[in-house]
Amino acid sequence: MSTTPRPTRRTVTGLGAAAALGLLAACGRSEEGGSGAAEPAAPIAEGEATGSLTVWAMGAEGEKLPELIKGFEEANPDVSVEVTPVPWDSAHDKFTSAIAAGTAPDVAQVGSTWMAEFVGLGALEPTPEEIATDDYFAGALDSVTVDGTVYGVPWYVETRVVFYRTDLAEQAGITEPPSDWEGLLALARAYQEQADADWGLSLQPGGTGSWQTVMPLIWSNGGGVVDDSGAEFTFESSQNEEALAYYQSYFTDGVSDPAPADGTTEQDFVSGRVPMFISGPWMMSAVESVGGEDFADKYGVFVMPQKETSSSFLGGANLGVFQGSENRDAAWKLVQHLSTPEVQVEWFGISTDLPALQSSWEDETVSANEKFEVFRTQLDTAQAPPTVATWEQVAAKFDAQIEEVCKNDLAPADALATIQSEAQGIGTGA
Amino acid sequence: MSTLTTDAGRSAGTARPRRSRRGAAEARAGLLLALPFVVLFLVFTAWPVLQSMIMSFTDMRITDIRTPFAVDFVGLENYRTAFADPVFRRAALNTGMFVLLGVPLTITAGLAAAVALNRGVGRLRAVFRVGFYTPVITSIVAVAVVWRFLLQPENGLVNTVLSWVGVDGPHWLGDERTALLSLVIMAVWRNFGTSMVIFLAGLQAVDPGLHEAAALDGAGRWRRFVSITLPSIRPTMLFVLVTTSIGYLQFFEEPFVMTGGGPLNATISASMYTYNQFGFGNYGVAGAMAYLTFVVIGIVTLVQFRLMREK
Repeated sequence: MSTTPRPTRRTVTGLGAAAALGLLAACGRSEEGGSGAAEPAAPIAEGEATGSLTVWAMGAEGEKLPELIKGFEEANPDVSVEVTPVPWDSAHDKFTSAIAAGTAPDVAQVGSTWMAEFVGLGALEPTPEEIATDDYFAGALDSVTVDGTVYGVPWYVETRVVFYRTDLAEQAGITEPPSDWEGLLALARAYQEQADADWGLSLQPGGTGSWQTVMPLIWSNGGGVVDDSGAEFTFESSQNEEALAYYQSYFTDGVSDPAPADGTTEQDFVSGRVPMFISGPWMMSAVESVGGEDFADKYGVFVMPQKETSSSFLGGANLGVFQGSENRDAAWKLVQHLSTPEVQVEWFGISTDLPALQSSWEDETVSANEKFEVFRTQLDTAQAPPTVATWEQVAAKFDAQIEEVCKNDLAPADALATIQSEAQGIGTGA
Repeated sequence: MSTLTTDAGRSAGTARPRRSRRGAAEARAGLLLALPFVVLFLVFTAWPVLQSMIMSFTDMRITDIRTPFAVDFVGLENYRTAFADPVFRRAALNTGMFVLLGVPLTITAGLAAAVALNRGVGRLRAVFRVGFYTPVITSIVAVAVVWRFLLQPENGLVNTVLSWVGVDGPHWLGDERTALLSLVIMAVWRNFGTSMVIFLAGLQAVDPGLHEAAALDGAGRWRRFVSITLPSIRPTMLFVLVTTSIGYLQFFEEPFVMTGGGPLNATISASMYTYNQFGFGNYGVAGAMAYLTFVVIGIVTLVQFRLMREK
């Protein structure tokens, strides 16, 4: 027995040395450089979809998608679709390792901030011409366009609007929702002064995802963080500075809580402690389930207040077909099926995800609720986050600087200068 | 004599080859039985460790995952990047604070609980033992949710109790000054059960005769604890110290689920920042950060072994 460890140890060293040598020999970047121009997409084959497809979808979408797929399977009896639900938390890692291993699914729900990164990995197929893209909301189409080429399609969208307590606004003497930046601040102050609110407006003082509330202000003020070509960051500008200073003023003037507790937005909204916040359509059912039956009459929503424009954040998810799919024709047929107006409406019925196609909004089931109409209006001007491969990392730096601005009174100009240099250090990944 | 010798010689002569043949067979069987582990270890532990070390010397990014060998060696550049990153330095400082505060508190609490259970508490011992150990086996996510409620600024239990005695409690997790401290306290509460169980086992091995003799000589409880109990459980102490320190140096779950590293990076830890870098696809830099943590753990463990060894 005493002899056994020795060969083993020798094997380890040998293996290690061999591996290291192998690496040394094989290492070094090829001279090719970036991915270059995308190959034009091949057309989709005629006829019904056949064969088997694997589809990955995240969170609630993953659970509800099989119900929607039934229609596709009925129309194409020879196809079998297997939906794998993936938790959002681990989705990004699962995708990147699947792409590396060449085991990516045929079709998948792709987070809108991942598009550029996956395209950079050479993982997504460009969209064939058979799939019309002219009916999508402009911001949604931007989120699937990387370097001028469209990859996949927008699946559903969401955007952020201002939720406010109408009853408390009346109590404070305001009957019309505000339409500009001054009006929003005035309403927030009125809540505090005349409706016993602790805070006028709930804003995120930095931390993960706070850029999603700051970006709409930047866009509304005519600013931006990436130039049109998507190659340069443009954090430093007077418009951006003004927008960030406006955001900061909510904290320095004591209108917004600089250290809010986690996950109490709904309760604070219902109790009137913080009667206004900015969020997406999912908050409607959330506040109504906390507030009880008739709460829907006590609050309203209005589009982001205007500066130069009224812009908001456009989120949602896209559908992509992965390179190396063994059944790409069927995969695109599924994507085509899911992006017809009727199926988009059906999906709204199943999931309440907002349709990405404008024509779907003409349907009764979508347009009946007047609050949805506000979202509809906002979607026209909502913008998608920049399609830059390194955006998640840049956004994290952005969040950190927003936190400094809100909590440490850092001057907006200094914060933007810091993000600009950090973002340049990170690069656009192109 | 001679017959005996020859007998012995013969028996030895016949026995030796047989035993060595059996020995060889045993060795083969042993190898065969160990093989699954060895292969798994090499493929899933040794190789990734080696690979990540190599990675830390290259400029590998997420865009290289399809062609992992087509990367350039950059020497110590990633380590330089890590040291130059103010957030990583802050993360290292936070981790250091966490270890310096957390390890002594955890060990003291564990030892105190163990001594109390070993001597003082009578019939309820099992109940207490289970009670103190439960946090260890509870999911960190469940613990985090409950603690977040407890530490809520407005109507959390902690601040409610403080308000009874006229203290206006801070926003524990939202205030830079108290956030890391809150996590330390939570981690101590969550982890002292493990050290308690190990100390309990160690205390069983303390010779009661020594205590009796010392008591006869007039030594008080504290004197006996310091001069008899502590020296007797030195190996246990070393084990607990090393495992707790390693665990705390890898401090990750608490900030990950409780604070996300905030506010203002007050609770971000080296492991968590490394994890973020992996998430952003900066594999080279992340590998370097992971190895820095590894080196620190190695040094700390070595120092502890040196300081605690038998004199």
